[in-house]
Amino acid sequence: MGAGTLIRPTPLKSSPLSQQRPPPRPPTPGYHSSNSISIPRSSTPVKASSSLNSQGDYRGPKPKREWVADWVSQNNDVVRSLPIYVGGLSLLAVLVNRTISGIAPVADASSSQSRADLLTLGLAVTNILNGLVWLSIRPKSVSAVNPEGVECQSICPLLPDFISSELLWVWESLSDATCCRSLIIVYDKRVILQIGFATASSNTDDAVVVDVDKLMKGSLYQGALKSKSQSYLANLSLYPAKSELPFLPPNTQAVILQPLGDKGLAIIGGDMIRGFTTSDQAWITLVGEKLDATLAKMNNIPVNA
Amino acid sequence: MSGTALSPFPLIPLSFPPDIGNKSYPLTKFPTRKLKSLAKISCSRSDNSSHSTSQQQQLNLSVLRFTFGIPGLDESYLPRWIGYAFGSLLLLNHFGGSDFSAITPAQLRTEVLGLSLAAFSIVLPYLGKFLKGATPNNEKSIPEGAEPIFLMSQNIPDTLKGDLAWGTYVLLRNTNTISVLIFIQDALCVRGYWNTPKDIPKDQVHDWFEKEINKTGLFDLRETLYFPQAEELWEILPRGTCSFLIQPVLHTQNSSSDKTEMSDGFVLLASSSTYAYSSKDRAWIRAVANKFRVDATA
Repeated sequence: MGAGTLIRPTPLKSSPLSQQRPPPRPPTPGYHSSNSISIPRSSTPVKASSSLNSQGDYRGPKPKREWVADWVSQNNDVVRSLPIYVGGLSLLAVLVNRTISGIAPVADASSSQSRADLLTLGLAVTNILNGLVWLSIRPKSVSAVNPEGVECQSICPLLPDFISSELLWVWESLSDATCCRSLIIVYDKRVILQIGFATASSNTDDAVVVDVDKLMKGSLYQGALKSKSQSYLANLSLYPAKSELPFLPPNTQAVILQPLGDKGLAIIGGDMIRGFTTSDQAWITLVGEKLDATLAKMNNIPVNA
Repeated sequence: MSGTALSPFPLIPLSFPPDIGNKSYPLTKFPTRKLKSLAKISCSRSDNSSHSTSQQQQLNLSVLRFTFGIPGLDESYLPRWIGYAFGSLLLLNHFGGSDFSAITPAQLRTEVLGLSLAAFSIVLPYLGKFLKGATPNNEKSIPEGAEPIFLMSQNIPDTLKGDLAWGTYVLLRNTNTISVLIFIQDALCVRGYWNTPKDIPKDQVHDWFEKEINKTGLFDLRETLYFPQAEELWEILPRGTCSFLIQPVLHTQNSSSDKTEMSDGFVLLASSSTYAYSSKDRAWIRAVANKFRVDATA
């Protein structure tokens, strides 16, 4: 009775969202980021760039390559320190020029040479200051931490088609656009979706089952639903309330708790500290509202005892 | 038993995408310094952890910025103005300072150096726009003559109407967009500021949009087109568009031997500032477009 009836609606296609998606890795035993999926694999993996009609039939204008933008984005550090070096070297050059020409290094504006020197010095200082501002706002590079656990894809089988496709769309969007690696959606006192990485349970190789009652009594859930707004735990290791989320991989770096109306919560786990940007947070809020509107249309689905 | 009505549900395994580069990271803490006596340094907080439920340590991140404190003035363009100002002063000094015979080689060297520094300063804000962590300019300016419209095809199912309304709303709100158009399998939804010709009656605006779309040939598109600095290519785009993006909505179709990508339609976004869509924006736009994907077996 535990598993209940497994309803298999039509399998959903995994169309490649971006061209660089690698083919799925074969399942390997063990805990560390293993792909141990206990379901039969479909016949052929989807190759991302196979037999696409190249260029399609669109004959309109295409954008040209942005060389400067690409070069700057790739050589970020070099460009950030460039103004300081340029400014500093020109400062030295002006002073050296003055000394080797035999002019006394006096800063007055009497001769046109001095005026030209002063203007050049002013420009050099501007460059140095701009370089300092750029260096001070250099983003701190954080690297992603691969979650430890097993991958799972579990969905409540009694959901109507439009809801399950919407849930899978939410997962695809989050995993493609953000650093999200785990997603659990709790609605109406039960888990309707658990997808991505999860802690492996101790006796089997599958993902640990979410204890919904314990989660709903915990402070994270209560606080999120009471405040009715998103909660962003940017560095999960700093929060002792982390123990309320044992189903997420233990080295999950950041978590967003998005309440879905009054009845549900979406738990989004990411692999990078402060990995969700403010833009991501805004998008997740709006997607959460949409999901809540869709889930509210769900009539009472019988609990699978 | 505790009500976890969860059964393992066999799905086609979805492979995870690789690490997505080009994310904009939050900014590090930096102490304030007095740099010039005239201008003041302002420390603006960009709080990247909104309220947590328990009293835990909040991560506060501060940004060092140099500002005159005048609202509406973009100080990142300051090197450019200084470059123009000092460069012209240098030229003035050269031609009007003293008579030509008294110009020494040393002065010429300084002036050449000064002019090249001025040129470099002028280019500097342009380079700074592409650095990671650059704050995008989110001011939307509305082109003149454009009116806000919200148009949707009538003979489409209600769920699609709801999705189109939500999709257009979200794209207008969360990206630097002033006009959005979604065209899916003969259903059209237009929202935002558009320059429709004034002489056609209201009920024919829909047909005018369809005609313009046919002229562009965009329904055959299979790859994302992003024009960050565009001149206006098509009549359908509102005047004052500086950058726009077209995201096709694709689904793979199983033919007998291989998989081809079919286009269900596209999403067109237009903005009044250049370089309006970062790679993060484009990833989310792709996600919203995929909502309208037609599952062939659904």
